Amino acid sequence: MKSRIVTIAVVALLVGASAASFAQQDQPRYGGILTWFDYGDPARLDVHAESPLVVQQATAGVYSGLLHKDPDDPTKIAPDLAERYTASADGRTYTFYLRKGVKWHDGQPFTATDVKATFDRVLNPEFKSPKCGATLKPLVAGTEIVDPHTFQVRLKFPAPDPFLSAVSSAWCRIAAKHVLDKFGDLNKPEAQIGTGPFKFKKYERGSVIEWEKNKDYFIPGLPYLDGVKQFILVGGPTQLAAAKAGRIMLWDTWPPMGKAVSEELKAARGNEIDVYRWPINTIWIVFLNTTKPPFNEPDMRRAVHLALNRQELINKALDGAGVPCAMLDPKLVGEAALPLAEVEKIPGCRPNKDQDIAEAEKLVKKHHPNGIDIEMAFRQVGNYSDRSQLVAAQLRRIGIRGTLKTHESAAGYAAFGKGDFTLITAQDRAMDGTDPSDPFSLIWTTQGGSNYGKWSDPKFDELAERGLKATNKAERAKLYHEAQRHFLNGAPSAIPVGWVEGWFFTDKNLRNYKQSPSAYDNITFMKVWLAR
Amino acid sequence: MSDAGVQARRLLRRQPLGVAGAVVVLGLVIAAIFAPVLAPHGPKDTAFGQFVPPGREFPMGTDNLGRDVLSRVIWGARLSLYVGLASVLVGITIGSLWGIFTGYYGGIADTSSQRIVDCVMALPPIILALSLMAAVGQSVNNVILALTILLTPTAARTLRAVALGVSASPFIEAARAAGTSHLRIVLRHILPNCLATYIVLVTTNISYAIVVEASLSFLGVGAPPDEPSWGGMLTAGTQAMETAPWLIFFPGVAISLAVFALNLLGDAIRDIADPRLRGGLG
Repeated sequence: MKSRIVTIAVVALLVGASAASFAQQDQPRYGGILTWFDYGDPARLDVHAESPLVVQQATAGVYSGLLHKDPDDPTKIAPDLAERYTASADGRTYTFYLRKGVKWHDGQPFTATDVKATFDRVLNPEFKSPKCGATLKPLVAGTEIVDPHTFQVRLKFPAPDPFLSAVSSAWCRIAAKHVLDKFGDLNKPEAQIGTGPFKFKKYERGSVIEWEKNKDYFIPGLPYLDGVKQFILVGGPTQLAAAKAGRIMLWDTWPPMGKAVSEELKAARGNEIDVYRWPINTIWIVFLNTTKPPFNEPDMRRAVHLALNRQELINKALDGAGVPCAMLDPKLVGEAALPLAEVEKIPGCRPNKDQDIAEAEKLVKKHHPNGIDIEMAFRQVGNYSDRSQLVAAQLRRIGIRGTLKTHESAAGYAAFGKGDFTLITAQDRAMDGTDPSDPFSLIWTTQGGSNYGKWSDPKFDELAERGLKATNKAERAKLYHEAQRHFLNGAPSAIPVGWVEGWFFTDKNLRNYKQSPSAYDNITFMKVWLAR
Repeated sequence: MSDAGVQARRLLRRQPLGVAGAVVVLGLVIAAIFAPVLAPHGPKDTAFGQFVPPGREFPMGTDNLGRDVLSRVIWGARLSLYVGLASVLVGITIGSLWGIFTGYYGGIADTSSQRIVDCVMALPPIILALSLMAAVGQSVNNVILALTILLTPTAARTLRAVALGVSASPFIEAARAAGTSHLRIVLRHILPNCLATYIVLVTTNISYAIVVEASLSFLGVGAPPDEPSWGGMLTAGTQAMETAPWLIFFPGVAISLAVFALNLLGDAIRDIADPRLRGGLG
């Protein structure tokens, strides 16, 4: 009897100790450095003026926005520097009530003057702001400081979803007026003074970017981590080697891993990591420059659109993880996306390519009977090299013979922004949110922030604008459907190959990290902690 | 037995490795010239399944984009030999003329040009080639340009030494005493005496050029990515080394075989051209 009591007591003790240990593991723990990687060297760090993901990765934890995607549920919008906001009855005026006592990393107080300076900057028609400015400019009529902690925005028309999506975008983070006055822009590491959970500590070009904990962060008790270290790892084999060696704890952003690579990683790390497939709200675009030959000719653009075999491209370059040819992904934006069954029937998008390729050949021969040699450019990041070789091989079938030209990441963006290209074989554009207006404002409208090919179609612009202004969901979806049909049946310059998905991993040691519908969100790591 | 047969047997007996190298090199040259006929598919044709293992339909399998590896290896011979030959012929010829003329004339031109050679040779070759490619951009012709710049100083240094030795010969002194012009002495007497060294330099450096081209392509700065370069194929293969080892095996074997064969051939030519060096370390 006595031994039974002892046994029960020991078992109870062990169970209790295990439960306590388990509970302790689920309790946030302070300390440690999170390590992950940037796929390229950002070079310029201005979050308002740039659009590469690496710029966002380099600076995300340094800044705060008025609103942001909720770190506990990134599908929702939550207050950040604005503790709350109200909308007027007509839906055209938004008032943001700012947190008090917030300080910039250099000790200066944060006020509505900083918010005004940020909005004035991104809304300035002379200032190229491919993300924040591109989404806010069509919406905002004016801004006003009500008092040092109250800021008001007047809209041109009621647009609650696009406006709140833009304000909560990671690209619309608030910068300090005194920093902008001093440096003129936010490009340099010294100008990285924000109000975010981490301070910008170090940037060694081509090597590493480091943040350190902001002990005066305006949310008491956060962040949990002592810092974040981002290795700049260019090239798939290097990234995979770092992941296999356990040098990085997270691979949750662009470029996604292919299936085979993820399996190789899983075999190497076993139970230490979680591997999963995820859509990253990013679309692969082939850009054609409409300002110079041969793609100033609509027939040639139509030929490329018809010839590209999206299914083969997605299958071979992305291991089948993607949504071919769609301008909007139904999974991400819902009913505003043209149904995929309809997309698959549109010439250029249909899986059976024989008819489309024959038509494309005819169009090329009409203008270039012996075919044409052109330069095809791409940035040497991710698997763009593989994608570019596939695109070049497909276009060779219709007489467009490409010589591949590579760019370093930042140099490529600069060249594309200036229109210094004929055809870009692979350029992913990630969305800031899941509002259907995002890809239109970003890529396809005349004023689109990434309208590298300078394509302009008044009818398409009109449909996109009406879609932006429509507040009724069904009416909005109808307008966007019409815009997509018009685009895919015409001679576009920013040709959608498909929405990109892929495989990612998180180290099991990493806790409270939530995947976001946008590649740019929830990488401030403000609530992330390490179990060991 | 005919004279040619006797000579061939003699050559085979004296230089068996050289003959073996020559046979392989001849095979490579044939593959390079007749690539459009020999290759079963286009080197850039992506119409096939991905990662098909070696078998009857694709003897060397297919790569990650669905291209026939055998066809790319055959076309790769053309690119490698083109880059190797073109860069070596241009680089070694320019360097040789530079070294011979400055070596013969001497003076300030010789001293200053040798300091330039010192500067270029002080830089690690692959770093220099990487920097040049970064500056001029990625293309096959730019790889040749980079290799030419790498090879020129080596040839200049070597041929200068030979020219200095020949210049001190009694028959050159006799030619000078007879009033022969300097240009005529260089063209009629110095150049022919440097020819053996020039030929040896050319043959031994083709393999070096092929390795550098493969290295540049492996590092992603050589030939454009869709060109069938053995080095570029190796890079693509590293991403699936465990699941599709044939992607690195066949181009790796091609590079090794080509370089080994060219080295054997180069050594044999050196021995024939200059018997004094036979068995030496040079």
